[in-house]
Amino acid sequence: MDLVLQQIVNAVSLGGIYALLALGLAVVFSIVSLINFAHGELMTVAGYGMFFALAVSLPFPLALLLAVSVAVIAALLTERFAFRPMRKADVTGLLLTSFAVSAILRVIFQNGISARPKPVPLPAGLTGVVEIGSLHIGIVPLLSIVTAALSLALLLLFLKHTTLGKAMRAAAEDFEVLRLMGIKANRVIAMAFAVSGVLAGIAAVLWIAQRGSVDPLMGFVPVLKAFVAAVIGGLGSLSGAVAGGFALGILEVLFQAFLPDAALPYRDAFVLSFVILILVWRPDGLIPAPVSRRS
Amino acid sequence: MTSFRFAVLAGAMFFAAAPALAEDITIGLATAQTGGLAFADQPSLVGFKIAVDEINARGGLGGKYKITLDIKDTRTDTATTVQAAQELVAAGVKVLITPCDADPSIAAGQISQPAQIPTFTFCGTTPTIPDAVGDYMFGTYPADNAQAAILAEHAVAKGYKTGYILKSPDSAYTLKLPEYFAQAFTKKGGQMLGEGTYTMGQQDFAAEVTKIKALNPQPDFIMTAAYEPDFPAFLQQLRGAGITAPVLGSDGIDSPTTTGLGAIADGIVHTTAGFPSEGSKLAAFYESFKTATGNAPETVYVATGYEIPYIIDAAVTAAGTMDGPALRDAIANLKDVEVVTGKVTYAGTNRMPSRDITLVEIQGGARKSILLATPNPADVPAP
Amino acid sequence: MLEVSGLKVRYGEVAAVKGVDLSVPRGAIVVLLGANGAGKSSTLNAIAGLVPATGDVSFEGKSISGLAAEDIVRQGLSLTPEGRRVFPSLSVADNLHLGGAAHAGGDELKRRIEAELDRFPILRERYAQKAGLLSGGEQQMLAIARSLMAAPKLLLLDEPSLGLAPLIVDKVFELILGLKGKGLTILLVEQNAGRALEIADYGYVLQTGQVVLKGPGAELAQSGLVKQAYLSE
Repeated sequence: MDLVLQQIVNAVSLGGIYALLALGLAVVFSIVSLINFAHGELMTVAGYGMFFALAVSLPFPLALLLAVSVAVIAALLTERFAFRPMRKADVTGLLLTSFAVSAILRVIFQNGISARPKPVPLPAGLTGVVEIGSLHIGIVPLLSIVTAALSLALLLLFLKHTTLGKAMRAAAEDFEVLRLMGIKANRVIAMAFAVSGVLAGIAAVLWIAQRGSVDPLMGFVPVLKAFVAAVIGGLGSLSGAVAGGFALGILEVLFQAFLPDAALPYRDAFVLSFVILILVWRPDGLIPAPVSRRS
Repeated sequence: MTSFRFAVLAGAMFFAAAPALAEDITIGLATAQTGGLAFADQPSLVGFKIAVDEINARGGLGGKYKITLDIKDTRTDTATTVQAAQELVAAGVKVLITPCDADPSIAAGQISQPAQIPTFTFCGTTPTIPDAVGDYMFGTYPADNAQAAILAEHAVAKGYKTGYILKSPDSAYTLKLPEYFAQAFTKKGGQMLGEGTYTMGQQDFAAEVTKIKALNPQPDFIMTAAYEPDFPAFLQQLRGAGITAPVLGSDGIDSPTTTGLGAIADGIVHTTAGFPSEGSKLAAFYESFKTATGNAPETVYVATGYEIPYIIDAAVTAAGTMDGPALRDAIANLKDVEVVTGKVTYAGTNRMPSRDITLVEIQGGARKSILLATPNPADVPAP
Repeated sequence: MLEVSGLKVRYGEVAAVKGVDLSVPRGAIVVLLGANGAGKSSTLNAIAGLVPATGDVSFEGKSISGLAAEDIVRQGLSLTPEGRRVFPSLSVADNLHLGGAAHAGGDELKRRIEAELDRFPILRERYAQKAGLLSGGEQQMLAIARSLMAAPKLLLLDEPSLGLAPLIVDKVFELILGLKGKGLTILLVEQNAGRALEIADYGYVLQTGQVVLKGPGAELAQSGLVKQAYLSE
């Protein structure tokens, strides 16, 4: 029983990070039909922000704030200089643009900063354990759960109760009509990128808390997971992204925990097969995005 | 008088001609300066270039062959590596350097082998690389099985009876090194309690750690060849679950990130190609590197890259020529070449050198060398 | 008030509008008639800035050609698009809010929402519901109310009666007349030519992207072409 509870905590913690990542992809995709594979590099930027902040001995909370801020700035810059000029391109063109942005950023990190990982040491207090009954929960996974929940709640409030948030939800459904209301397309799109930057920054902090370092290729694995999670949930659907993130986290932990040893090296194959089953059952994802009625 | 003048003239001509005797040769480097291997190939190249400048300042390889470098970036892509190797071989390089990984090194070696060009992998550690290619292919870095042997020796000396290994099938290094270790450890009477598997880059070890936690009895130690970002994540989650067994690691965790983990890194023992203990040659090299560049080397790869031109220099001096077959034989017969991390010997090996390996222990956020030795060939598991 | 001359719209190879001239006088209801694919919606969308077009469009003596859709509505032209296109997962409240957010803030925005809820009491009842759950007629009311949130001088209405029950259609036409009574100028695209011409001051008939007939509403209703093509039932 304890083992099961422990694994549930593990799954929720991992799922929370995936949910943040997938949501970052979904926010942008829902509005401009761009699967932003440079989302991972936004995380890397946040990581370097944190590294440099700690290197000049900024206090830890300030370093976190800086990490998220540079991710937002990077998101806005890529939107302005890479994606906005490609706005008229089709989905494939946008996808290739995002690959290019991602590749360029990685080489800039490798040649401009270092090809070696840079350590991002955590304050000693964060590496401890909380004991709840017979459960051992690391402070980092616990913070992941709390942070993911808080971020999701704040995003929800933003989307429900601010004009820009409402505009973003409306843009996801019918961008043309939103423009007919006089709402500036560029502002809404920039806002979507900024939100994805915030989500990438927060996810980066949680991701780095586990690994203790940042390196130029850090974003690759998370963006793949985010993509899979977003597809499971229904591409472009915000609630779907959250559901997909948790589904992927739970699947990964379950298979890792309960597959027989001989099958363990094939865990990802099992996870992805299960993902395919989900998509056979629900081709548009768990919570499909509303079909856009753009004419 | 005339004859004196003639002698002077002849002498002058001789000296004037002497530099012309020094032949310019080219060393080709098909290595990954961008992409997933850049973390190893970039610093290796930095060290390599320093050594080449030093050797050229002294008159070149064997005192007479000035080196020019032809450097190509393979972008961590095997097909690009093959193409770069083909171009370099066609350009007539005398020595070829390949990336820090088995696959591109073997692919490139298969092009230089028929051309009779001695080839070195920058820091590929898979012990089967030379045999997969042929008699012109050489390793330079401590091989996986040699690292495993040294670690197993340490585990036995510590009195550990039972162990657990964590491996990943995603790379030869993360899979075979723990397996070699288990082999060496059981051969010396130790017992393995089990093994875990992880996916590289996954960073989630919660499920694996929960399984280790459930082991009864607990193992005396846990050994893994995981490195960044997996190792720090694993260690945090391991200690987070309250498991206190000591952790043995390999040279992949010889990185500032590991000491950056703070108290949980205390007690880790791992292998490395070299450690700059006070008064060591490596420390002196690091010091002069820092003076020259303003920064301390980020990794020992700078040093191992620096050593390769000196290994080549030793072979050229012995052979007296850059001729392929003669140079191959000279390299294969090198014994106890003094380099900055210790001694390197090719004689009697399968061209994966027998060389000094350092064991370091982490305490209080700092590393300390606890052993510098060449593993006993009898203890090294067969590749 | 609105002057359109030489308006052309192309979708790739296809020319949808081939040089349309029309004018909408202040305070009038002008109707655009024509079969499916005649270019009526393309004309409206081009005026509103949704599709790129050549030719000149000027509003109150100022050229608005080439302006972005979001800037044109700021000039005082508001388009209620074909098919209503409310934001289905947003509440009625949020739909109205977005309609006015770019034009008014704070108390003025609240006042405008109140005014629309007074005009369309059914929307007050449905205020917190998702727009996608509304009936077709209610969605049409919402779409018009949303356009009116911009406080336009000219309202462009694209097929407001399409797919609605006859009783609701009556309501829509009543509403349009009512808006005219309040001083709003209206450019209307309608399939329902008979009903449209009853309320129109002036009308244009489009065929394959060109104006083939124009005249005062009552006159057009008597024209043979219109009778034969659009009033046969």
